[in-house]
Amino acid sequence: MKVDELNKAKIPVVKINKKLEEFRGKVLFPKKLALANEMLSKAKLPIIEK
Amino acid sequence: MHYPRYDYSAENELTIFEFDNIGNKGKITKIVQYTEMSVKGYFNLGFGDLDIATREINDGIVTNNGDGQKVLATVVSTVYAFTGKNPEAYIYATGSSESRTRLYRMGITNNLEELKKDFYVFGLRNDQVFEPFIIGEDYLGFLVTRKK
Repeated sequence: MKVDELNKAKIPVVKINKKLEEFRGKVLFPKKLALANEMLSKAKLPIIEK
Repeated sequence: MHYPRYDYSAENELTIFEFDNIGNKGKITKIVQYTEMSVKGYFNLGFGDLDIATREINDGIVTNNGDGQKVLATVVSTVYAFTGKNPEAYIYATGSSESRTRLYRMGITNNLEELKKDFYVFGLRNDQVFEPFIIGEDYLGFLVTRKK
């Protein structure tokens, strides 16, 4: 693939960042996660035939 | 995606992404994390600023760095990357405040035509029902999942 095509691709080439490994397994947004879980627990989830 | 976006990096599992937002307040490092929720197969999209000095995350801050559209296009792009690896995943996003939720709605609205080619896109209404995303409607949160 040419560079121009790569840059236009929907999924860009993702560089691996080893520094981010420090966050692996940690919930970085716990309040947001709790809020989202609460919202989904009350919601009627969509049914999608994939 | 027709909006410009920042380059980003991720850890090996493609659940945590980082990019530098460069605007009128200088460089601000952004973090996006996908965390599995109580409902199996559903992942919460968390998004906030990383303080490089303390390595702490702040998702309550409104940066106003002058390039919100580019930032949102970058976040949307990470959805493509995450679901490229996890095609069955459902991604749920809601803001930490009403204004942040409106920001997410704007991001989806601006990228909706592109998103709909590859994703089912839903909004969570006040009556707790998900409906296919309608531009201009107010939603509590947003849900996307890949089309086959």
